[in-house]
Amino acid sequence: CRRSDGEPAKFQPPPKPVIVDKQKQREERRFLSPEFIPPRGRTDPLKFYIERKDMIQRRKVFNIPEFYVGSILAVTTADPYADGKTNRFVGICIQRGGKGLGATFVLRNVIEEQGVEICYELYSPRIQEIKVLKLEKRLDDNLMYLRDALPEYSTFDVNMKPVSHLDYEEIPVNKLQVRMKPKPWSKRWERPKYNIKGIKFELPEKKMKEAQKWSQPWLEFDMLREYDTSKIEEKIWREVNKELKK
Amino acid sequence: MMPIWTKSGEKHAVTLLKVQDCHVLKYISKEDSDGKTAKLVVGGKNVSPFHKTEAEMEIFKEAGVPRKQKVTTFKVTDDAIIKPGTPLYAAHFRPGQFVDVTAKTIGKGFQGVMKRWGFKGQPASHGQTKTHRRPGAISTNKASKVYRGKKMPGKMGNIYRTSFGLKVWRVNTKYDIIYVNGSVPGHTNCLVKVKDTKLPTYKDCNKNPPFPTFFADGDEELPEDLYDEEVFQFTDPSVTYA
Repeated sequence: CRRSDGEPAKFQPPPKPVIVDKQKQREERRFLSPEFIPPRGRTDPLKFYIERKDMIQRRKVFNIPEFYVGSILAVTTADPYADGKTNRFVGICIQRGGKGLGATFVLRNVIEEQGVEICYELYSPRIQEIKVLKLEKRLDDNLMYLRDALPEYSTFDVNMKPVSHLDYEEIPVNKLQVRMKPKPWSKRWERPKYNIKGIKFELPEKKMKEAQKWSQPWLEFDMLREYDTSKIEEKIWREVNKELKK
Repeated sequence: MMPIWTKSGEKHAVTLLKVQDCHVLKYISKEDSDGKTAKLVVGGKNVSPFHKTEAEMEIFKEAGVPRKQKVTTFKVTDDAIIKPGTPLYAAHFRPGQFVDVTAKTIGKGFQGVMKRWGFKGQPASHGQTKTHRRPGAISTNKASKVYRGKKMPGKMGNIYRTSFGLKVWRVNTKYDIIYVNGSVPGHTNCLVKVKDTKLPTYKDCNKNPPFPTFFADGDEELPEDLYDEEVFQFTDPSVTYA
């Protein structure tokens, strides 16, 4: 093949393949479990330091995986009154509460048309294994509204296979909008104080407008309520990582 | 307050008490205290020496110790006398002992009779005129006087109260912290007095304590954490029921 000016084509070596190593490219994802962050108060920081030492010690012996509200977990606990002395429960995490050693998480599932919620303590010695079957986030931090949603949104297969999740990928956010049972609900979820984004409200416009009467737009500007945890989180994350790698 | 788990999987709530710069200040002999027992004056947390008169600072000067925020007396038998100026550590208490904790309760200010004494008050409706949280009658007709000590509104809290028979689950010798079962009177970071129990049921439980106290001379090397036998330590694997 000849070029347009009549000279023989010079040998052009093929372009070198650009290897994009996603693992190294993506910054190491910094996840700090929310129970490590100390609450605002007048307690001595020494108390939090000692509690953190105990928590890290427990994490060295027993693996507590990273999970968020909305991920599906399978927990096996030791039960003196069950066959085989262990009890396995699969459910979606609807709430993570408590700080320090008393941190808890609530798992919800519907078994044989009966809704069941179990509140487990993360650092209890009776827990034998915590396995994350599906790691994902939802639009809210608190999924208590699943109690008033249609049962299909809370049913999960007990023998579900774990969905693989690669280390470097970002956590998928499930933008599911849940349909609710007819009112009355246990809480008035349409009110702005709950700030729920994951419900498909099928209420008339008039009711939604009436619910906005209870909005408190000054709350987000209240400076006394601000609690900036970014620097505290950095310090604690570094400390926890250093100890766990030892 | 923190949770603590036993080896059988039960959870107990625990209060952390820190032993902060405790020194023995003075020894009062049996005859001086005009009683049957000798007394030892002990002082707590260190504070600045500039806001007290010279006369009050004398006790601290004699013992050679910085000024303490709290000063209490302990009644002591003759064989447990300690020289003034010795520091006291958390290892004085060992896990498995039982302890009484005294402190000033949280002050609630001037409170009404329903909060202070737990009176039932009056109904909210059905014709009550301006009477919903009042004490009602304060005495009978025959008595024609009000008895002394009648429960009435007044200042609530900020008085010394004791919780008895609290078990010591764990002692941290590095930071001088005692883990005591249950709750303790007082707000967070308040000063507290810890004594051996006076309850007769736990008389036999305080066996072989460090007597008269734990001296950090370097003779005895204690591990950083002392646990009770039943406490689940986080270095062990999870609890299983065989």
